[in-house]
Amino acid sequence: MEPFHLNRRFLLLAGVALALPVPAFAADRPSPEVVVLQWYRLILELIRHTATYSPPVASRAFAYLGVALWEAVAQSRGLTSLAGQANGLAPLPQLPGAVDEAVLVHATLSAATATLFANTGPTGQRAMTAMTEKLGAKVTEGLDAVLTADSSAQGAAIATHILAWAETDGGAKVENLGFPMNYTLGGKPQSWVPTSAVRLQQTPLLPGWGDVRPFALTGDLPCGLDPHPDYSEDPASAFYAEAVEVYETTKTLTDEQKLIARFWSDDPMLSPTPPGHWISILSEIAARDALPLDQLADALARLGMAVADAFIVCWRVKFEYDLLRPITYIRRLIDPKWEPLLNTPPFPEYPSGHSSQSGAAYAVLEAIFGSDFAFNDATHEADGLPVRSFPSFKAAAEEAAISRLYGGIHFRAAIDNGIAQGECVADFINRMKTL
Amino acid sequence: MKRLALLFLAGPALADGPAVPQFVEETEAAGFAHSFTGDWEFVVGGGAAVFDCSGDGLPEVFMAGGTSSSALFLNESSETLAFRKAGSSGLEMDMVSGAYPVDIDADGVTDLAVLRVGEARLMRGLGDCKFSDASADWGFDAHDLWHTAFAATWEKGADWPTLAFGSYIDRAQEEFPWGNCTENLLYRGAARKFAPPLSLNPSFCTLSLLFTDWNRSGTPALRVSNDREYYKGGQEQLWHIDPEAEPHLYTEAEGWKRLRIWGMGIASRDLNGDGYPEYFLTSMADNKLQFLATPGSEAKPQYADEAFKRGVTAHQPYTGDDLRPSTAWHAQFEDVNNDGFADLFIVKGNVWAMPDFAEADPNNLFLGQEDGTFVEAGDKAGVASMLQGRGGALADLNGDGLVDMLVVNRNGPAQVWRNAGPVGTWVAIKPQMQGANRDAVNAWVEVRSGDRTQRQEVLVGGGHAGGVLLPLHFGLGPAEAAEARVIWPDGEASDWVKLILGQINMVER
Repeated sequence: MEPFHLNRRFLLLAGVALALPVPAFAADRPSPEVVVLQWYRLILELIRHTATYSPPVASRAFAYLGVALWEAVAQSRGLTSLAGQANGLAPLPQLPGAVDEAVLVHATLSAATATLFANTGPTGQRAMTAMTEKLGAKVTEGLDAVLTADSSAQGAAIATHILAWAETDGGAKVENLGFPMNYTLGGKPQSWVPTSAVRLQQTPLLPGWGDVRPFALTGDLPCGLDPHPDYSEDPASAFYAEAVEVYETTKTLTDEQKLIARFWSDDPMLSPTPPGHWISILSEIAARDALPLDQLADALARLGMAVADAFIVCWRVKFEYDLLRPITYIRRLIDPKWEPLLNTPPFPEYPSGHSSQSGAAYAVLEAIFGSDFAFNDATHEADGLPVRSFPSFKAAAEEAAISRLYGGIHFRAAIDNGIAQGECVADFINRMKTL
Repeated sequence: MKRLALLFLAGPALADGPAVPQFVEETEAAGFAHSFTGDWEFVVGGGAAVFDCSGDGLPEVFMAGGTSSSALFLNESSETLAFRKAGSSGLEMDMVSGAYPVDIDADGVTDLAVLRVGEARLMRGLGDCKFSDASADWGFDAHDLWHTAFAATWEKGADWPTLAFGSYIDRAQEEFPWGNCTENLLYRGAARKFAPPLSLNPSFCTLSLLFTDWNRSGTPALRVSNDREYYKGGQEQLWHIDPEAEPHLYTEAEGWKRLRIWGMGIASRDLNGDGYPEYFLTSMADNKLQFLATPGSEAKPQYADEAFKRGVTAHQPYTGDDLRPSTAWHAQFEDVNNDGFADLFIVKGNVWAMPDFAEADPNNLFLGQEDGTFVEAGDKAGVASMLQGRGGALADLNGDGLVDMLVVNRNGPAQVWRNAGPVGTWVAIKPQMQGANRDAVNAWVEVRSGDRTQRQEVLVGGGHAGGVLLPLHFGLGPAEAAEARVIWPDGEASDWVKLILGQINMVER
């Protein structure tokens, strides 16, 4: 994908969208863009409140939802399908005729969400039903019955096609919240070992996630990364120095550094997770700037695939290196009573997942919106954390990455090389053709 | 009340472990026919209140009914369990989620705080297991909330109790209920009336409340367990409840450490004999067993989770084929094998068709051991029910000195088990005061036998949506003699008194 200047491009596309034939509808019917953002608001809640949705699993859902949405919009507007570009995606069923885009995207997202979040609890189920019915009633109000039926059927057909594709990627089934019942630890001094007294987390999260089929990455899973400093317990070693950096930093954290650590902590079940954080950022921008539907769908699809592929390759590498966490090393060699600010995630250290997926996210969003795109981030406002402002996506990603050092859960190499890995992933996404 | 001869039989034991009590399910034979029913608004709740309203020494059982009627079961047990459902006790009502017994007006007849999805009610005990709604008479300003938790205490110098009511979600919110926790309320009063309640703001979708003297300061604080599924910016809470002062939260500056769990229930007991209570917090997957990090007069409210170390994470089913993570609700410590070490009972059950969690999720019965660890015995004891449990209770239902068990299941039959022994040596203590707070809530009862001293705090609250108000039960293991004293709520200690074993001993002030 070629970078472009945001304002010029949006103006152009807004003109194209207005030129398309659109059915007449009641004045208070929600626009397709409103429908999408309403669904994504709910999806972010479902991510938070569905126990299976650890960050890698969440990223997968965002990818399939985004692709489903994009394919619906692409068909409606004659734009380029991702079929033949995204790995394993076959051409989709074609539109039977005219569709109403609000009904189309509502039906697509309703069906896809219902399946991807089939294992959410009773409150989530109730919320999905309410959203489907209430928003469905609004988007179909006053609309021709045949058009409504055709649009709904097409949305459902697109979702069915995407969900069937999703079933074959190796990531559809997650058991025991992602923690294997049996797992043999590496057994070397540098190997990852459990870091908490949580019984469920005595095995690492999703050790096989690196085998999930990626969306854009091709070949023998590219975007590997440089190794971390050689493991050593020698105080003169580079590895020891990285540990000392974590230790010393966390002993002298400023209030701002603590806030940064917590802002990007993005814990599963207590937040929309790291990939959801970036989706939240995009949703805020879309609402603020009234992004037109095709731009919105394109961005959601690209961002979803970017974070999903970043997690896949990151997880592959994590289990190849199988590196211990700072809490293990520091307590073993530096300070047995050391406590990091954040809870240490239950899987190997290198590289940092948040850094990798934030690297991919910023590079994809930068390709869409430009490199100096300023925005506010209110993802955690309801949780009592303040809105943060960023001059660019890259600045946000870099802050997300360094937050893991402030939180005491990653060494420097995992952060720096994680960002680079994400940028590599973004290159693949940015080469895909859509608009 | 029938009392059996004291026996100390060699019962079945885990390999080099504690004797496993044998529980016999007598649900059907005992006439214990009840169901807690409902859909979304009754995914939580289902509590049971166990107390003696007939005066015969055998406890009655009141159970929430959800969309069905709540019911009071009159206890007619002898050697085996037997209950008769009361026809018109005054406690038959709809939309009940739970209940706690407490003698609000200090007339010596236990009253009942009834939690409802809607307005809560305060039911005055009239004697002979009859009750009337005294909410208006007592100035109780009931709010229309999804009530899920309750606790009571008597603040220093107060002649009227302080009640805390916990509530859950704004049930009008369908698409976005998350972040819409409704308020918890604190009712204080005097001269036999409650004042308008104070809001315990912020409230975080509470499922258990407990007034507890966590630091033995003589002033109980309010422990609050909250469900992270619904709050935003929330955590577990501990409130200062100081007489005549506004409630305020313990802060990080005071040592409170943030903990965010699917808080469902609280059980409390001094497990390690240091004089300070430990807390078991139920949740989904791993549960928490909290020990005060630095006991002593300068103790800060900081706790170390020792659930893993002591074998009570109870994170997944221990029997059956369904090994998905567990969902825990009611919890309670009692000594079910009378060996002198508190045991832990946890009611389990899937929330409602949540495929990420076990649907065949057996209740736990962990037996406490001398080294401070616990060993699971639910299956060997015969109580590994796979129904969708919520509330429950451990209580001596037939007066034989053995703690029996009942469970309230959601959309399924309630169950009751008789503990068939081995019996062991036991004693029960009933502290009684004149005037307000007759049952000495937040007093500490200490039982000394040999070189061991066991302690229990008299509590009204905790568990999941229900509680027990009965003489405190102590197993004594091989002891042949024991004595007890009560540290009354104002801090004054009674003299040590020699106990008659195998009986309820009343200690009066």
